[in-house]
Amino acid sequence: MRLGLFLLGAVVALGQQRNFISCPIVRDTKTVPCFLAEYDGELYYLGIQQDITNEFHPPQLKHEVLVEGRVADGPRICGGIPLKPISISVVKEVNLACNTLLPPEPGIDAPPAPRGAGPSSARPNVAASTPRPPLTGRQEFTVLYQFNDDYLEYAGNAVVNAAAAYAKRSGAANVKVSGYRATTVLSNGDRLVEKAGLAEKRAQNIATLLRGLGLSNIVVEWKDGPEPGDGQSDPSRRRVTVVVTP
Amino acid sequence: MRRLFLICIFLLGLALALSAQYQNAFKVTWIEPGSGAVLPESDAFDSVEGTLGVLNASGPVNTEGHPFFTPLGTNGRACVNCHQPTYGMSVSTSGLLQRWRLTDGKDPVFAAFDGSNCPELPQNKESSHSLLLKRGLFRIPLSWPPRNADGSAKPVEFTIEVVKDPTGCNTSPQYGLKSAEPTISVYRRPRPAANLKYVISGGRPMVLKTGMLADVDPETGKPVGMNLMSDAREPSLKTQALSAIMGHEEARVAPSRQQIERIVEYESQVYVAQSAHIFGGPLAVEGGPPSLGPVALRDHRAGVLGDNDCDPVFGSFDSWKGTDYYRASVARGADIFMYRQFWLRDATHINTIGLGNPLKRTCATCHNAQMTGQDLSAGWVDVGTMNYPTWTEPSTWAESSELPVFKITCKRDADPHPYLGRVIYTTDPGRALISGRCVDVGSIVMQQLRGLAARAPYFANGSAKSLRAVVDFYDRRFDMKLSDEEKEDLINFLGAL
Repeated sequence: MRLGLFLLGAVVALGQQRNFISCPIVRDTKTVPCFLAEYDGELYYLGIQQDITNEFHPPQLKHEVLVEGRVADGPRICGGIPLKPISISVVKEVNLACNTLLPPEPGIDAPPAPRGAGPSSARPNVAASTPRPPLTGRQEFTVLYQFNDDYLEYAGNAVVNAAAAYAKRSGAANVKVSGYRATTVLSNGDRLVEKAGLAEKRAQNIATLLRGLGLSNIVVEWKDGPEPGDGQSDPSRRRVTVVVTP
Repeated sequence: MRRLFLICIFLLGLALALSAQYQNAFKVTWIEPGSGAVLPESDAFDSVEGTLGVLNASGPVNTEGHPFFTPLGTNGRACVNCHQPTYGMSVSTSGLLQRWRLTDGKDPVFAAFDGSNCPELPQNKESSHSLLLKRGLFRIPLSWPPRNADGSAKPVEFTIEVVKDPTGCNTSPQYGLKSAEPTISVYRRPRPAANLKYVISGGRPMVLKTGMLADVDPETGKPVGMNLMSDAREPSLKTQALSAIMGHEEARVAPSRQQIERIVEYESQVYVAQSAHIFGGPLAVEGGPPSLGPVALRDHRAGVLGDNDCDPVFGSFDSWKGTDYYRASVARGADIFMYRQFWLRDATHINTIGLGNPLKRTCATCHNAQMTGQDLSAGWVDVGTMNYPTWTEPSTWAESSELPVFKITCKRDADPHPYLGRVIYTTDPGRALISGRCVDVGSIVMQQLRGLAARAPYFANGSAKSLRAVVDFYDRRFDMKLSDEEKEDLINFLGAL
C-alpha cells in the first residue's frame, strides 16, 4: 500500500515537472517584462526582470533556454502557467530565431516587482550585516551552475565568499573542492549530458577564487563522469561543493 | 585728423598686444613638456559652448621638472602631451590639428611609435597620422598572445586574423601579427587623467561580470576596481604610469619610484568638469544641481551607486526645471538619462550577467557610478561600437574603414560570443586582447562622462565627432526612438557635465 502511494506520488510529481528547451518569449507589460516559453502547445511563465540579486535570472533572446521547473498552483501569470521551483539555463550557441518580443496587452500584467524598469526606488543595501553562522565544525557549501556553464552567478559568488569566510574563521585545516557535471532528463525523454571537462573547470575555477580570497590548504578534485539524471532534481547536481573541515 | 586716427590705431594695437601678452602670461593652453609653467589652483578653458573648469585640489602646480610634464623617454614626450588640462586631461582633435599646423607635425605628440598610424610610414606626411588627427587615436600595440604577469602566454579561446589593414601596421613584417614579436595594433583615445578617485574606486575580490578574481595591485596585494584604461590591462595608476612611460614615451630606463609617485600624486588631485555655458552661465551655483563643476568632484565621495532615486547618478536637477531654456533642457536631459526606459539588448556583460536579454531599463543602469557615470562594477561592456554589424564604422565593405578589421574565430571548446557567435568581425577586440576570451571580444571599459565638451571625439575609437553622434549611436543601437528635442536635451545634459 505504502509502495503504491509512493509510486503514485512519484508519477504525479514527474507529471508536474516540465523540462524542455525552447526559445524564450519576452512579453512587455506596464511595468517589467515577463519571460515565458512554449512547450508542447502550452505557454509557461518563467519569471520577470529583476536585479541580479534576485533568485530568478531571466533567459536571453538570441538563445534557446533550458527550462527545468515544476507546475505551480495558482492562476496563470502573464498568460503562462507558472513553474516553481524553476531553473533556467541559457543555451550558449546563438539562435537568431529566438527573437520574440511582444508588446504590452491590456489584461496582461506582470506580478508586483520589487524593482521597476527604471532606477531602484530604494537606497542600495549598505553591507547588510548578517549574523555570522556559528562555527559548527565541518561545513559543506554548494555552488550551482546553469547547464553546460562554468560562469559563477551572483548567488554562487556569495557562496564562495561565505565558504572562504568560514574557512578563515574556523582556521580550516582542510578545504576540499569537488566539481561535478551532470545529466538532465527532458520531459520528452531525451537526456542531455554536460560537456566533458566541465567538472574539472568548475572545480579549478572555484579553487582559484578561494586561493584569491586567501585560502591555501585547498584540495581540488573532480568527477569525470556525469552525474545521473532523474528529470526532477537535475539542476542540483550541476555543482561544486566546498567542504570546510576545521 | 589723419594723425589722430593713426595714433588711435597705434594705441589700439598696443592695447591688444599687451592684452595678448597678459593673457599668455597667465593663461596656458597647450602645455609643452618642459615649459616650466605654473598651473593655478583653479583654471578655466574654452570648450564647446562654454568653459571647462580645471581644479588642482592641492594648489598651484609648478611643472618645472615635474615628471608629468617632463620627457622621461627618448621621443620628447611627457604625460602632458596626451593629457592636457585644456582638453579635460585628454586631448581633442581640434587641439591636435592646431599642433600639427603650428609645429609642422614635429610636436612629440606625433611620435612615430604611436602618434602615427604605423612607425614605418613616412612621418612627415599628415596622412600617416590620420587616425590621430581625425579621430584622436593613438596606436596601442599589444603583444599576441596576451601574457601573464610572469611572462607566460595566457590560454586563448580564439584565433585572430587581419582582414583589413588600412594603416599597414597589423600586416607589417616588423610590427604586425606575423612579425618576430607578434603584435596587434589597435587605435584608442587617451582617457582623461582626472577625477581619478572615482575611476579607481571599488576593488572587490571578485568581478561580478565574469565570476572571476579581480586583478590585484602588485604593490598592496589588494583587489582593484578594473576600470582603468579601455581594456583594464593596468591594475593601478602606478603601473599605468610606468607602462605609459616605457611605451608612449619610449623610455629605455625605467622612471624612479619618486617620479612615478609624483605623477600619480598630480593626477590624483586634478578635477575637471564643465563649469560654464555660453547661455546658461556658471553651472556650479548654490541651489543648483550638486554634481556640476570640478569642486563638486573634489568634494564628493567616490564609489557611490547612483542607479536609484535616492542618490541619482549626477544628483537632482529638479531645481533647474521650469527655468531658462538651457537649464530646463539640461534638467530634462538628466531625467532622460535616469528615467527614459528602452530595451537594452545584446550587450555583453550587461545582458549576460543575469539581467536577461532584453532588459528594459535606462542609461543609468550601466552608467551607474555617481559623479562620473562609469560602471561601479569592473566595467567592460560590448555596447556594439567595435563589432560588426553594429560597429561605428561604415556598414558595408564598399565603403572604406579607417580602422583595421580583425576576424575572430572562437575555438570549438570555448563558449562563443554571446550575441555574435563563433565568428566575429571587429575593429578592436577590446578586453579580449587581454583576457583571451571570446565573450570579451569588442568589450571596452566604460569611461567617465565628465568634461566631455572639451575633449571630442568620443568613444574609445574616436568615431563620434560630437555628442550628437554619441546620442545618435545609442538611439540607433538600442532603438530608443528619441525625439529631436530629447536628443538636444541629452546633448545639453552631457555637455554640462
